[in-house]
Amino acid sequence: MTHVKAQGSNEKTSDSESCGFPMELPNVIVSMSPHIRGETTVARMMLTIIIGLVPAALAGVYLFGIRALVVIALSVVTALGVESAIEALTHQRPTSSDLHAVLTGLLLALILPPSVPWWIPVIGAAVAIILGKMVFGGLGNYPFNPVLVAWVVLKLSWAERMGLFFAPHTTSQALTPLMAVKEDPALFYSYELLSLFLGDKAGPIGTVCGLAVLTGGLFVLFKGMIRWHIPVAFLLGVGLFSGILRVINPDIYPSVAFQLMGGGVLLGAFFLAPEPVTSPVTPWGMLLFGFLAGLTTMVIRMWGADPDGTFYAILIMNAATPLCNYLKPRPYGRGHRA
Amino acid sequence: MPLTNLSNPLSAESMGLFFKGVKIPKRQAPISLDMMEAPLPARVILPLRQYIGEPATPVVSVGDTVKVGQLIATADRDTALPLHATISGRLAEVTEHLDCRGISVPALIIESDGADSWIERPQEHNDIDSLGPSEILTRIEKAGLVLKALAPIPLGADLIARDQPKTHLSLNGRQVVRRTDTLMVSALDMEPSLAVNRYRAHIHHAELTQGIAALKALTGAQRTIFVVDKHYPPYPQLAELVAADEQEATRIVSLDGRRFPLGLPVPLLKAVLGREVPLPYGHPRDVGVALYDLDTTICLGSSIQQIPQVDSLITVGGGALARKGIVKVRIGTPIGSLIESLGGFSDDPARLILGGPLMGIAQYDLSIPITKDIPALFALTRDETALIGHYRQCINCGLCVRVCPVNLVPGMLSLYCAKDRFETAERQGLLSCLECGCCDYVCPSRRPLVHLFRHAKQQLMEARQ
Repeated sequence: MTHVKAQGSNEKTSDSESCGFPMELPNVIVSMSPHIRGETTVARMMLTIIIGLVPAALAGVYLFGIRALVVIALSVVTALGVESAIEALTHQRPTSSDLHAVLTGLLLALILPPSVPWWIPVIGAAVAIILGKMVFGGLGNYPFNPVLVAWVVLKLSWAERMGLFFAPHTTSQALTPLMAVKEDPALFYSYELLSLFLGDKAGPIGTVCGLAVLTGGLFVLFKGMIRWHIPVAFLLGVGLFSGILRVINPDIYPSVAFQLMGGGVLLGAFFLAPEPVTSPVTPWGMLLFGFLAGLTTMVIRMWGADPDGTFYAILIMNAATPLCNYLKPRPYGRGHRA
Repeated sequence: MPLTNLSNPLSAESMGLFFKGVKIPKRQAPISLDMMEAPLPARVILPLRQYIGEPATPVVSVGDTVKVGQLIATADRDTALPLHATISGRLAEVTEHLDCRGISVPALIIESDGADSWIERPQEHNDIDSLGPSEILTRIEKAGLVLKALAPIPLGADLIARDQPKTHLSLNGRQVVRRTDTLMVSALDMEPSLAVNRYRAHIHHAELTQGIAALKALTGAQRTIFVVDKHYPPYPQLAELVAADEQEATRIVSLDGRRFPLGLPVPLLKAVLGREVPLPYGHPRDVGVALYDLDTTICLGSSIQQIPQVDSLITVGGGALARKGIVKVRIGTPIGSLIESLGGFSDDPARLILGGPLMGIAQYDLSIPITKDIPALFALTRDETALIGHYRQCINCGLCVRVCPVNLVPGMLSLYCAKDRFETAERQGLLSCLECGCCDYVCPSRRPLVHLFRHAKQQLMEARQ
C-alpha cells in the first residue's frame, strides 16, 4: 500500500507546476456512476430460493425416506455436472458458482414422484440443463422454465413411471388426492384438510407437505427475491375458479382448500411460476400472468388429461410472459402536455 | 394525480410515502454532522464556467493582485455568471484547465499570499422588504450562485426559467393554469451519504429567513414546506419558523433520508405533494412548486447582503480518507490540496469521486478544482466500491422495475440501448430516466445500466443535431 504522507510533501506545494501535485494518486477506477453497489448477486438470489426449498425437501425426505434423498442428490449432482461439462466443452466461462444448476436440479427432484428409478432424475436434470437452459444460451435467455421442460419430457416419455406415487412412509402404491378425485368425486370426503396440508398424502417429493412449501415460500417472499404479485394472483386464480365450481355443484367439485393443497399449486405459486427468467417483471404483468396460470391450472384439472395441471399451466403461461410484459407501468410525468 | 387539482393549491396532499428507490445501508449514512474549515490552499484554479452556460470574461490580467471577494470575471452575456477571487494573492496564469466533467475550460489560477485579506464588505444591512424582486434577482446573479444539481445552472436562471404561468392541457383535455403556490425547502441531500443540508438544518442561520423571504418574493409562493430527514432530529430553527408563521402556511414534512433517490426533485415532489413533474425536461415550477435545498436557500440569503460566493460546504467521505465530515472549502481548491490538508489518504483509494457515491463523477486527476456545483468529495476503498468488469446477461428478475423512481422498465430499456435501438428506447421513456442509478445499484447481474442509458441519450442528442 502506498500511503501518502501529507507532512512530508508540504514544502513542495508552492513550486509545483499548475497540474503537478506532490501527492501521487494510486491507480483509481474511472467509470460511470453509481460507484457503490447493493449486495444482491445472482448467487445470493439463487441461494435464498434454495434455502426456501429446504423445508419442502426435508419434509419429502421425512415422508418418503432415503429414496427421496437419493432422487434429490442425483438430480442436483447431474445438473451441476452437465452444466460444467457443457461449459468446458464449449469454452464458456464456468457459471456453476451462481448455484442456478443446483436450484434447477433441486426443483426438478421436488416435482418427481418418490417412486422413480435412479435414471429418471439423471435424465431429467440433464434434459433441464441441456434442452431447457444451455441451448438458449444459459441463465437469462431461456423462454420456458427448464425444470418444467424436463418434467414434461419425462412425463411424456415415461408416463406410467411418472404417475406412480407412494403413500407416505411406505412403498405401497397410492393415488394422489387429485387423481383419486378425478376418478371418483365422492372420494373428496375421505380426505381431511389438515392432514392434506401437513403432508399425509401421496404425491411428488416436494409438494406433499403444504406447510413446508408455504414456510419456504414466505421466507423467499420476505427476503424480497420474489414479489407477492405472482403467488397471490396464482392462488387467487385457482381459488376463484374452484370456488365458483364448488358453488355450482358441490357434489362433483371439491372445495377450494382441497384444490389449493391437493397438488402442486403451492410449490408452483411460490417457486415455479415466479422463476425470474420466465416470469414477467411489471406489476400488472405479474398479476395477469399469475391469475391466468391459476385459471389454466383449474381448466386442466377439470377438463384436461393431467390430474394436477399446475406444471403444464405454468409452462403454457411462460410463453405469454413477453406479452404480459407489455403491461408496463405508466412512467412518471407522462401524459402531460407542456 | 390529475393536473386539474392544481387549481386548488392545498388539495391532493400525499402522505410522504415513497416505496420506490433503494434503502441505503446505515453504514453509508453520515455518522457525525461536524463541520471543519479547510486550510487556505496555496493556489486556486477558478474555471470561468462552473455551470451550464457561457464562460465569464476576465477583468484582471496576469500579475494583478486580487483580494478575497474581488470580481475577477464579469458576466457580459445572459447565460454567464460573474466570478470572484476566493483567496487573496496574485493572478498567476490564465489557462485552459479540466473541470470535473473532463471538459477543458478557460480558468484563472491565483497564487495565495497567505494573508486572506478581503475586499471591503458592504456594511449596510438590507431589509428584504425594501428590495424589489428584480433587485433581489440581480443580487443573486451578482453573487454568482449555482444550483448544485446534476445539470448545474445559475440559480438566477433557474428562478426565472419557468416564471410565467403557462396554460397547458391536462390528461382529460381541460385547460389548466398553474402558478407557483408552494415553496419547498429540502433538508434532504441528493444522496443519503451526503450531509450538508442535514448539517445546515441543525444550525441556526440568520440568512435562512432572508432566503425564504427572497424565494417567496420571487416565486409568489404562499406556503412553505420544509422537508427534513426523520433520522436526524431535532430541527430547532425550522420549528421556530413554523411557530412564527401566523397564517399557518408553513409546515415540516419528515421523510426517510436513507431512502434514495428521495432527495432528487422528481421523487421528492411525488412523495410530499403527489405531483408529477412532467418528464423529460420538466421543472418543479411546472407543477407549481419552487423547490430548493436548504444550503442553496441559505447561500441565497447571504447573497442578498451582497456577499459573493467564495466558499462552499461539501461532504467529504469514503473509507480511503483520513478525515471525513462536512468541510468548508474555498471554491477552486484542487482536490489534491484539499485531501492533503485533511490528512491525506488513510488507505489506498480505488475511486475518487466528485459528488456522492451514487451519482458523482469519477476523477483521475488531483488537480481538478472544487467548483460551485460540486456537493461532495468521496474517496472509496477497493472494498467499498463496485468493481467494473465482467457482467452477466439480464436474468429478467425485475428488481430494477421495483426500484425505478420514475416507473420505467430499466432492464428492457438497457437491452434496447445495448443493441443500438435508441429510438425504441426513447419511446419506452428513456429520456425520463433521472440517472439516479437505483437500477444499477440493485442489479444482481451487475449490468452497467446507467452507462447504457447515458450512452443512448448522447447518441440520440447527436443524431438530432
